[in-house]
Amino acid sequence: MRNSGAVLILTFIAKLISQAAGVSRPGKPRLTSCRSPEKETFTCWWEPGGDGGLPTTYALYYHLENSETVYECPDYRTAGENSCFFNKNDTSLWVNYNITVVATNALGKNISDPVEVDVVYIVQPNTPENVTAVVVRDEQGPFVRVSWEKPRTADTRSGWITLLYQLRVKQEKDKEWEVYDAGMQKYYNVFSLHPDKEYMVQVRCKPDHGFWSEWTQTTYVKMPDYIPRERSLWIMITIFSVFIVLILTWTLNVKRNSVKLCLLPPVPGPKIKGFEKQLLKSGKSEEVFNTLVIQGFPPTTDYDELLVEYLEVYDNEEQELVLDGKDLSEDCMKSKSPSDSDSGRGSCDSRTLLLEKCMEGREGSGSGSGSDQHQYSQHGETSWASTESSESQGPEPGSPESADGRSKTWPVVFSSPQPQTHHHYQVGAAKPAYHSVPEILNHSSPHTTPSNYHQLHHQDIPQQEGRFSKPACRHSQSYNQFNLDGVGTPAPGVPPSPSLEYVEVQRVNPENMLLLWPLSDPNRELEGLDCAGEDYSKVKEVTNNILLLQRDTSHQCVDYYSQDLDNQADQCTTQQPPHPCKPAVHQSNSRMPHEGMRVMGNGYVDSTVLMPSY
Amino acid sequence: MTQGSRLYFAVAVLMCAFVTINGVVLNDLLERASQLSDKLHSLSTSLTNDLDSHFPPVGRAMMPRPSMCHTSSLQIPNDKDQALKVPEDELLSLARSLLLAWSDPLALLSSEASSLAHPEHNTINSKTKELQDNINSLEAGLEHVFNKMGSTSDNLSSLPFYINSLGQDKTSQLVNFHFLLSCFRRDSHKIDSFLKVLRCRAAKKRPEMC
Repeated sequence: MRNSGAVLILTFIAKLISQAAGVSRPGKPRLTSCRSPEKETFTCWWEPGGDGGLPTTYALYYHLENSETVYECPDYRTAGENSCFFNKNDTSLWVNYNITVVATNALGKNISDPVEVDVVYIVQPNTPENVTAVVVRDEQGPFVRVSWEKPRTADTRSGWITLLYQLRVKQEKDKEWEVYDAGMQKYYNVFSLHPDKEYMVQVRCKPDHGFWSEWTQTTYVKMPDYIPRERSLWIMITIFSVFIVLILTWTLNVKRNSVKLCLLPPVPGPKIKGFEKQLLKSGKSEEVFNTLVIQGFPPTTDYDELLVEYLEVYDNEEQELVLDGKDLSEDCMKSKSPSDSDSGRGSCDSRTLLLEKCMEGREGSGSGSGSDQHQYSQHGETSWASTESSESQGPEPGSPESADGRSKTWPVVFSSPQPQTHHHYQVGAAKPAYHSVPEILNHSSPHTTPSNYHQLHHQDIPQQEGRFSKPACRHSQSYNQFNLDGVGTPAPGVPPSPSLEYVEVQRVNPENMLLLWPLSDPNRELEGLDCAGEDYSKVKEVTNNILLLQRDTSHQCVDYYSQDLDNQADQCTTQQPPHPCKPAVHQSNSRMPHEGMRVMGNGYVDSTVLMPSY
Repeated sequence: MTQGSRLYFAVAVLMCAFVTINGVVLNDLLERASQLSDKLHSLSTSLTNDLDSHFPPVGRAMMPRPSMCHTSSLQIPNDKDQALKVPEDELLSLARSLLLAWSDPLALLSSEASSLAHPEHNTINSKTKELQDNINSLEAGLEHVFNKMGSTSDNLSSLPFYINSLGQDKTSQLVNFHFLLSCFRRDSHKIDSFLKVLRCRAAKKRPEMC
């Protein structure tokens, strides 16, 4: 009792003294970790708890799970300070180790908490060894092949331990590593590395069930400077384009001729029908030129039909009243003079449009239409040629422009009036008359036109036309063709066409002039005529060689001309505008075309100035 | 070539092919088996971790000793030198015996897993089920391996498991569950190790794997 008490007091005092002196028993050590690098040995480390100011010794004790025998650590040195290394003999697998560490110093000892360890669960291999990273040149670009070796201690050969490897790559400046799993193989190819850069490579390994090893030391590898090229794509493109070029070339070659034809169309050479080069070469000029001769030219029979078609010839026995043929012929000849300045006037206005009243056609005019036509055809074949040209134009009666056009084709037909001619008349003075001409031509006149002529001499010029000059006055001889009976008779042979006015072909004189008579239909309206004022003159009566023309009051034709007959002609020529032949003419209409009219040099009246400008 | 020699040649070729194929097949079988055993052990490890996340400290004190595992009576090599000395067929039979010993306990575990007093009992339940499937597959595979290896004796150790219930109260159920699982985890590691040794022994053609 006393002893225990004394011991206690002494211990207490010793503690106090030791505490005052700073010494105590050691602190409790702690086992930090135990590791087995190859599943054959293992090592445990502890940390001391504090030595208490006194030199402390540590001892590790263990016992296996199924026995109570406590063993002390066999090796404190191999693994370093505060460690215990269990060699192969002391290591048992699939057995729990109960390990404790005891720290002892002069003042006491301290025991750590026990730790249960099964060796197979604490496997952590050593780091892989001999890590090498080499740059491999490939046609697709260089890459890095990293290879290494297993840690020396691990026995993977027998399959005792299975290791899985992992590597990581980064540039010096990168923060994050690029980690790659290599599985159980000991090499790895790293692609997609940037050229001309230095990379750091590290490798580690892990057993199938265990802890990862430490990373190896860094291995540096430098990527070469290369230019990545996508070769395969360019190769394909090149081959494809070459292929296409080849195909095109071959196609062009095959279709050589048609290509040439397309690009350089052949220019047709001059060719004369019937002309053969061979004949030239053979040197027989006669044959050559014989071939040039066209048989049956100029056509005769053909034109009969044409004549039939186009001509409306009126045979009027009463043409006795008409002008003297001789004079007419003279006139015709003279009027054919091309001394006509056509400027400033419309086609219809042209003097050439003025038909010469050649009385030569009188004979021919006496017959019926058919015979007339025939006669005319004989006479004026050549002139028909000129008229023919007009037939091609589509007759559009009532349209000034077309009429103009058509009228233009009558240059030969319409001869310019000459001042000295007395027997000229203007044919188709009215514009409708003019453009009724082709009408007549184009239409066959199935029925014989009554031998009524109207001299369109005084046809009122359509206002928009007004381009043909009208004779200042009519010579008595000029006015030879008028139809006495024809007043009021319908225009003979006038086809039911929109044309309002028809011109009769009186005859074709030997001078190849087509003498036309304007055919007026007093009963007929001026259809389609834009003529606002022009009017056809209707022959009212003929008395004493005076042709009285009646103006159609239905239209506001400008004026009409009354034409004197022969004996009035002289008077007319000497007269000056505005009003030609006035005294000789009875005018049914008050309106006189005197204003603005002027007498042309050849005696015709030019009423163009009267025409409103269109 | 006479007809007889032709026939002999054909038979020889066939035998060679058979042996070759057989060897290849065995190798592949062992490869597949070791993969399965690896999966088995990984599952058991994760299950153990799940259980440990919410394990009462008092339960650890209550934990039975690992020597109480029903398979502890089986004599197995304890270190590498011993293990490498064991012949293949013995290694295989050891693996198979261990595997067989765990069919019933795992059934018990899977039946008890659903009613475990553990916050993660659902995960535990599904993993236990998966464990059971894996064991069945591995059993079948190892039987094939055994047949392929052509061993004469099939000396499988019988390791009976007589426990019907893990415990009445939640804590003991949990503790027993945990204990059983720890026993299984170790045994699955044994199986895996043995099979991988076997695999490398058979894989003469693929030294890079071992």
